[in-house]
Amino acid sequence: MIAGLGLLVGIILGLILQPDVPLWLEPYLPIAVVAALDAVFGALRAFLDGIFDDKVFVISFISNVLIAALIVYLGDKLGVGGQLSTGVIVVLGIRIFSNVAAIRRHIFHA
Amino acid sequence: MGLLEYLTATSMDGDYAHVAERRERASRRESPDGEPSGAKPGSGLAALVVLGLFGLLVATAALQTSRNAAEEADGRDQLITQIEARSAQVDALRGRAESLREEVDQVQTDYLEATTRGRQLSTRLSRLSVTTGAAAVTGPGVKVVVDDNPNATSDSETVLDKDLQKLVNALWLSGAEAISVDGQRLNSLGAIRQAGTAITVNGRSISPPYTILAIGNRNAMPARFVETRGGATWLDYQSTYGLEFTMTSEESLRLPAANQLTLRHAHVPDKRR
Repeated sequence: MIAGLGLLVGIILGLILQPDVPLWLEPYLPIAVVAALDAVFGALRAFLDGIFDDKVFVISFISNVLIAALIVYLGDKLGVGGQLSTGVIVVLGIRIFSNVAAIRRHIFHA
Repeated sequence: MGLLEYLTATSMDGDYAHVAERRERASRRESPDGEPSGAKPGSGLAALVVLGLFGLLVATAALQTSRNAAEEADGRDQLITQIEARSAQVDALRGRAESLREEVDQVQTDYLEATTRGRQLSTRLSRLSVTTGAAAVTGPGVKVVVDDNPNATSDSETVLDKDLQKLVNALWLSGAEAISVDGQRLNSLGAIRQAGTAITVNGRSISPPYTILAIGNRNAMPARFVETRGGATWLDYQSTYGLEFTMTSEESLRLPAANQLTLRHAHVPDKRR
């Protein structure tokens, strides 16, 4: 409940402030969002499993975003940015799906 | 273990389990009676802040994407306006070139008509300008209208540059003396080319249905056309791919002059010296 509120406040803040993303950061934004999504779903699953921990969530969130951006950055420098982004998205996508499946099992007991 | 299995098995960060285990061990050490583990520790403030950050990130990414899309659309609109303005300019210049050419022709004729030798030259010139496409011509001939298959799904069901080339070559073979495609007169410098999905004739894009006018013997041309290879191919196209093709004989056609006449490399050898 409170978590949802935090999310809402963040979104509204983003819509009001409309922060300007610097050009060099723009390519990493989508991949950062996907990485953050993975961390959030992992946290939700842990919460439902009853083993949620503040510190682990914060660290996993930040490290996920940073590492995803770093991999893409490295790929861009090596000239394989597109392929590496695809790889990162596939891996994170699979994780998100299986986390959501676990969450679903928790909520609907099915 | 396969990669996919590994990914699905470790989809949740292992740290949650580690920390929970450690905490459980610690709490068991403190109170051996066994306080129920899994009690939510921490204030949750940090998690809240991070979630807020996540929301901010998502909103920013979405805004950025929509802003970029708007910018792209803007750019496209600007390009389209530019293209329209430029092609209007080209049309105006073409019209001016046309009127200037007519003026030059008139002056030339006036000048030549003044002498006997000039008159001979003038006759020769007008005969030549029919074959080279330098002058507009009228005469009987055939009108061919071709179009894509109305329910075209593939390239073979649409009219391509090479199809038009075959058609035009077949018309030359069947005795056409002058040909125009969608108002573009063809001469030896003319070209029918594909540019993306559009066909260009003499560098101008045309769109279906394509109208080909050919001046010649209007009674004999249709029969001869069928006998040429290109004509037979077109009848094939009509029956196999459903391309639309109609040929009508016309009493009087008017074809404009060609817009490409300048020879840049070919010269008449100086044999009179």
